[in-house]
Amino acid sequence: MENEVLTYDALVVGGGIAGEETALNLAKMDYKVLLVEKELSIGGKMILLSKVFPTLDCAACITTPKVSETARHPNITIFTGSEVKGIEKKGERNFEARILRNPRYVKEDACTGCQECEPVCPVVVKDQYQFDLVGRKAVFVPFSIANPRIAAIDIENCSLCGACEKACPSDAIDFSQEPEEKTYQFKSVVVATGYKLFDPIKMPRYGYGKHKNIITSMQMERELAPTRPFNTILRPGDGKMPDNLAYVLCTGSRDHTVGNPICSQVCCMYSIKQAQLLMGALPMADVTIYYLHIRSFGKGFNEFYETAKGMGVEFVKGKIGKISEKENGNLILRYDDIETGQVKEVEHDMVVLSVGILANDEIGQVFKTQKLEFDDYRYVKQIDELKRPAMTNIDGVFVAGAASGPMDIPDSILSAGSASSEAASYLAEVE
Amino acid sequence: MAGEKQRTVKVMKEKRTVSDEVKANIKHYNKMKKLIKEALKEGPKTIPEIARATELPAHEATYYVMSMRKYGDVVTGEIDDMDEYFYYHLNQKN
Repeated sequence: MENEVLTYDALVVGGGIAGEETALNLAKMDYKVLLVEKELSIGGKMILLSKVFPTLDCAACITTPKVSETARHPNITIFTGSEVKGIEKKGERNFEARILRNPRYVKEDACTGCQECEPVCPVVVKDQYQFDLVGRKAVFVPFSIANPRIAAIDIENCSLCGACEKACPSDAIDFSQEPEEKTYQFKSVVVATGYKLFDPIKMPRYGYGKHKNIITSMQMERELAPTRPFNTILRPGDGKMPDNLAYVLCTGSRDHTVGNPICSQVCCMYSIKQAQLLMGALPMADVTIYYLHIRSFGKGFNEFYETAKGMGVEFVKGKIGKISEKENGNLILRYDDIETGQVKEVEHDMVVLSVGILANDEIGQVFKTQKLEFDDYRYVKQIDELKRPAMTNIDGVFVAGAASGPMDIPDSILSAGSASSEAASYLAEVE
Repeated sequence: MAGEKQRTVKVMKEKRTVSDEVKANIKHYNKMKKLIKEALKEGPKTIPEIARATELPAHEATYYVMSMRKYGDVVTGEIDDMDEYFYYHLNQKN
């Protein structure tokens, strides 16, 4: 690439809400930022949500202006579909990072996002951006509000038929693209790599994957979003509109047996949010939330919980032992009713597992010279959590958002504010 | 002109081959699409009715009908009398 800049003030790893906020704050202070995102779009998990709690604002409406601002800021360069392969600290305010840019096989400057390539592609595989509820083509625009809104080719699943190349009106398809790995120089690094979702397949007693009418909360987010995979809220097992749904809280959180003993901070509230949205989308439906404790600790959270109760959402303090399936696809939940001490069984026609969030510790392998330290739960260790929460054990490396621990969207933005302030102070010391 | 446009896929064909899994997946999807289209030629059907007509498991029928809906082969119709299942029919525009 001609005239490519190889030196930046800051490397921000991760293009979710925390990474965007960090990058924007630094860019507005006139620092040059390189934002590296492994997915095909920036926006992280927030861009895939339906609404946010406790305000019920549309998540896409809130996040897309920030996504656009990040993408258009002249001081921010964004690499999507890219990975940071190695970071070496060479000295104070001197980091060297190897970055791999995976090919999209589509010319970014030529693709208009028209999607003319999609209908002609003969391949259909599960759409990861719809959490496998529906298919997508091998050549695809990740989702309608993706940024950049340009196509990519999933080369592993491509049939190499060339139909997309023939159909593209702007000649944007380019199978000759190659992976490109280069070394860049930075003065500081911000880790904003977010979190992973718990995979409930690790809890066979819940039957996720086996019983088709059990979905995860993220799959329900997609069903509730305007860019949903189905025409409305449906059971994936048979396309029925559910009328008696259950939520199982703490799936993969506060559970030593799955190796995640801590609270995920957001599951109670996003489940209550989804329950409220379901009451609106399916007015005849009953929604029951099975919980251990409701943790409604934030501003307006308890009122939000009370609103859900007022709307008719039923809350049952109970621990689910096992979920089994009936012939008609309905599900039998066997649970320990904590209020009465009795073991009960109840039937629902759809179950949503409120999955917990886990540390995304892959960034640890990236630091080559000085190792990045993690806490007991594999989140990036905050060496001065109360006074300087963005500080890590490496001088010049800062942490933002859920990379440092489970947190909701407003807290991630606050955390990014802290990380960008620390990074700016660190950068200002050389000027 | 079409020949010129095809040139970059040739570059990729020289570097890699299409796996048997990808070929099998295309064949399977085409088969499912044909079965569902055949079933819907008789008129609109719900997913359980499509599953019975095609002898597919209902969850697979849901996945394929929804994928076909996404790409415009199938459109959503009315809901049944019990307000449980939607009818789906072929997109006449295709």
